[in-house]
Amino acid sequence: MPPMIPAAGSPLFPPDSVPLGSNSIEREPVAGVVGAIEAILRQPRRVMYQLKQPGAGGLIVSLLLVALFCSVVYGVVAGTFSGGQQLWAAPVKIGVGLFISALICLPSLYIFSCLGGSQARLAEVFGLVAGLLALMTVLLIGFAPVAWVFSQSTKSTVAMGGLHLAFWLVATIFGVRFLNAGFRHFSSQSDAGLRVWVVIFLLVALQMTTALRPIIGKSDHFLPSAVDKQFFVTHWMNCINSEQDTNTPEGDVVK
Amino acid sequence: MEASPTSTGFRQISVLLRGEPEPINAWIQQWNPARALLHVGVIVAGTGLYGAAMGYWRDPLQALFVAVKFPLIILMTTLGNGLLNGMLAPLLGLNLSFRQCLQSILMSHTITAAILGAFSPVMFFMIWNAPLMSAHDRTGYDFIMLGHVLVIAFAGMAGNLRLGRLLAQMGGSVAVGRRVLFAWLAGNLLLGSQLSWILRPFIGAPDLPVQFLRKEAFNGNFFETIFRTVHQLLSS
Repeated sequence: MPPMIPAAGSPLFPPDSVPLGSNSIEREPVAGVVGAIEAILRQPRRVMYQLKQPGAGGLIVSLLLVALFCSVVYGVVAGTFSGGQQLWAAPVKIGVGLFISALICLPSLYIFSCLGGSQARLAEVFGLVAGLLALMTVLLIGFAPVAWVFSQSTKSTVAMGGLHLAFWLVATIFGVRFLNAGFRHFSSQSDAGLRVWVVIFLLVALQMTTALRPIIGKSDHFLPSAVDKQFFVTHWMNCINSEQDTNTPEGDVVK
Repeated sequence: MEASPTSTGFRQISVLLRGEPEPINAWIQQWNPARALLHVGVIVAGTGLYGAAMGYWRDPLQALFVAVKFPLIILMTTLGNGLLNGMLAPLLGLNLSFRQCLQSILMSHTITAAILGAFSPVMFFMIWNAPLMSAHDRTGYDFIMLGHVLVIAFAGMAGNLRLGRLLAQMGGSVAVGRRVLFAWLAGNLLLGSQLSWILRPFIGAPDLPVQFLRKEAFNGNFFETIFRTVHQLLSS
């Protein structure tokens, strides 16, 4: 019997009372990288259901490959702003930075999920994080053409940085929605811990952009030296101030 | 999906974190040396990792020292107050044996240590990104300090909330559970703060050498210093 086609316009995240796997299409295994992209965008509940099944490792690997590929592609687009060595440095930094941020925050997510009463195992939490990364980076690919157009028409590093951050933030919001829905299906009784975790993840990822700088602009060094270490707020304020200084000759101030 | 009282290994820690009443009560009733050893292991690993992250800003050697000192404080406080806590519980209406009291406190510290251990990669990343420790720049120091206070306070609260709930269940009343919890907390605060004072430094200071113990470790006490600081503030 072929799987039932869900009614058009059915919500991506139906109410929690609808158990995972109640729709036959959710029980269909997700095959390959393309299948993973399709499922994470159109049938997130199918991904959640499959993550709870034995042998979910294949799906997790597919999601991670999607995240890696998409972050590298987006990185190339980000690198076109400066060109040169940034064409390979930016994709490496964005891909590595995203994965390291997720790994740094993974233990605390597991702890928060347990404190919230969730029955998710560490492997399942890891799968949900892989889904978060995949969804975020797939959405970033959607933003890539817009980012590329802007990167070809502006000279301001601060403006480009702000734009990339805005895109990343939008992608993160959708990714967190997926994560939240996933945890509700693992019997989580409270999402307060998850909210705190999202703040931690955002802070770590934002700091990662400063730790791995420059991602957009140019530099003689691949990474900042030990004496140049800064917190991201300080770095951004310095960037904004230095750009204002270079863009504000005395004549312009008078005008 | 309730965990069975015989849950083993790492699974026990997630049961503790979730605060599942049935298996935890069964653990308290039945002494199991392997389980106690697991809890001690989590305390050593969790607080040790966090301690290493704490000391790393000053020097890698300081990281090693704090990785040893932090678990020591927790374990010494637990053992040092074991007798007192075991006496206070029945006096305040909770009929637990010394061993059960020790086990309950050990479980609460295990939760705290598991949280600290899980946060250690985040703290290590924060410290790795911090500007070099300097005697002239207070901003970085204050920021790191605030981070530690938030994480340790959260971990401590989570551990004690779980302990409070467990005590209320065992005592059959929230009031009894709360009384015992506050009595235990007061004792642990008294001993724990003094042990921390003796075993200082933790973060370290740029103008002082890296040491396991300060030369004046046994001079004065934590509360005396607080009293003196407040007195100076009020008289200036």
